[in-house]
Amino acid sequence: MGEVIKADHLVKSYGSIQAVKDISLTVNKGEIFGIIGPNGAGKTTTIEMLEGIRKPDGGELSVLGLTPHKQLRELNKKIGVQFQATAIQKKMKVKEAIDLFASFYPTTQKDHLIDLLGLHEKLGVMFDDLSGGWKQRVTLALATLHKPEILFLDEPSMGLDPHARRELWGLINALKEQGCTIVLTTHYMEEAEKLCDRVAMIYSGQLRALGTPQQLLNQIPAHYLTFDSEELLYDFLISLPSVVSVENENQSYKVLSDDQQTTAYYIFKYCYDNEIPVQDFRFEKGSLDDLFVHFLEKEASA
Amino acid sequence: MTAMMKLASLETKMFFRDRLSVFWTFLFPVLMIWMFGSMFGDSNLNGLSFAEMFVPSWIGVNIVTISFFTLGTVLTNYRETGVLRRYQSTPIRSWMILAAHTFQGSVIFVISALLLMVFGILMYDLTLPVYMGSTLLALLVSILAFFPFALFLTSLAKNSQAAAAISSLCLNVMLFLSGAAFPLEFMPTILQNAAKVLPLYYVVELLRGTWNVGPITDYGLEVGVLLGISVVSTILASRFFRWSDK
Repeated sequence: MGEVIKADHLVKSYGSIQAVKDISLTVNKGEIFGIIGPNGAGKTTTIEMLEGIRKPDGGELSVLGLTPHKQLRELNKKIGVQFQATAIQKKMKVKEAIDLFASFYPTTQKDHLIDLLGLHEKLGVMFDDLSGGWKQRVTLALATLHKPEILFLDEPSMGLDPHARRELWGLINALKEQGCTIVLTTHYMEEAEKLCDRVAMIYSGQLRALGTPQQLLNQIPAHYLTFDSEELLYDFLISLPSVVSVENENQSYKVLSDDQQTTAYYIFKYCYDNEIPVQDFRFEKGSLDDLFVHFLEKEASA
Repeated sequence: MTAMMKLASLETKMFFRDRLSVFWTFLFPVLMIWMFGSMFGDSNLNGLSFAEMFVPSWIGVNIVTISFFTLGTVLTNYRETGVLRRYQSTPIRSWMILAAHTFQGSVIFVISALLLMVFGILMYDLTLPVYMGSTLLALLVSILAFFPFALFLTSLAKNSQAAAAISSLCLNVMLFLSGAAFPLEFMPTILQNAAKVLPLYYVVELLRGTWNVGPITDYGLEVGVLLGISVVSTILASRFFRWSDK
């Protein structure tokens, strides 16, 4: 599998604010690549540099062998972009929008997409009268009409209900099966975990982790212990070696630790010595959600 | 090219789906002529009848409304709501979008001008322009001046409310002070001079003149001013074109 995107030490500032500090990544042909991070982390700036609509201040960037901001016209023939918060003309009918955007390209997969996205029943409806999920389908169709080699999706599932979100994932997977490479940003960790082949985590304009969702979960300590106890105290737990954070609600505790085994040993030893009962003790595997919070807290304490 | 024509025809279609803009663009000027006509229908000014004075000038006003509201404000709204942004990563280019909207505006303008003219002929014994070719050229020059002028001014607005405010201001000032709705002869000298900084003044002079008095070659100053506005604002409108405000 070849690399379709290669970014080396990308830097971008707006005035005195450094939105992207130093990001290097590669995206392979045919994969779904997720860029995740909290709001304001630099996700959109990063994806917009890849799309060629923002010029990096520094670093090297190659997308499909082109330099995006310099060869934008060439690039625009080969990529599809779904921007955050865009619309089409309110009084434009779905069929009209598809025909219009199809006329921008020499060849399109118009009819196939109408089938794939189930747009038949909505062809005569004006854009403004569609629900959020259908609007998203229509704009997805517009971005993929010309069988783009790379499809960029900026926060594709924002504002969709859980059902519409799952349908969107299905559609994105179907596009991937056609051989399209997909780069998307999201702040839904579940989306990254279930949909993406590889994930880049961005915090304050810097790349913090990169790999398959599974690798991220394994290589970074985001695992925790949960148990119920009436007598253990927060102050004691947080003082134990390797403990990163402690959350408790009534008598249920969630202890995030860099070293589960050691932490567990200390808790059991203390409880044994002091005859404190502990119930329902479990080793839990963290989700990307936990990893996300883990990084945010490290960021805050740094 | 097909993309541009497709966009132009779609935008025209969508214009007619909006009843309110159809009313303001097509019927409001006719109502105004009818209203002024019921008051001053029999008057005669500088040797011109009511219709000879005001049908050409309201056709001029239509150029202003269409360029500011049908083109400028709508494009600002498209910029604000992300419609333009959606074109940004496609092969369509910004000048094609501007050209498509200019074409749409021209079609709507021709319809509105024909309506006014037919109304004038039926109700107020207006005759067809004496110098037809000159009048058509004058209309072309006026459109070429006003469309980019309005597109540039409204593109300075951050949102469609601000664009509508700019548009209303321009329209009202020009409507009342350029001699389009009220004869300049009734106004104090200072306002008569002030009228000469308003682009619509030159459109009104040129249209009235070529309709009733003489060929376009007699109106070198007006044509020169309008072509100047056209060149400068075309450069500004394309230079400062933005896909989005983000």
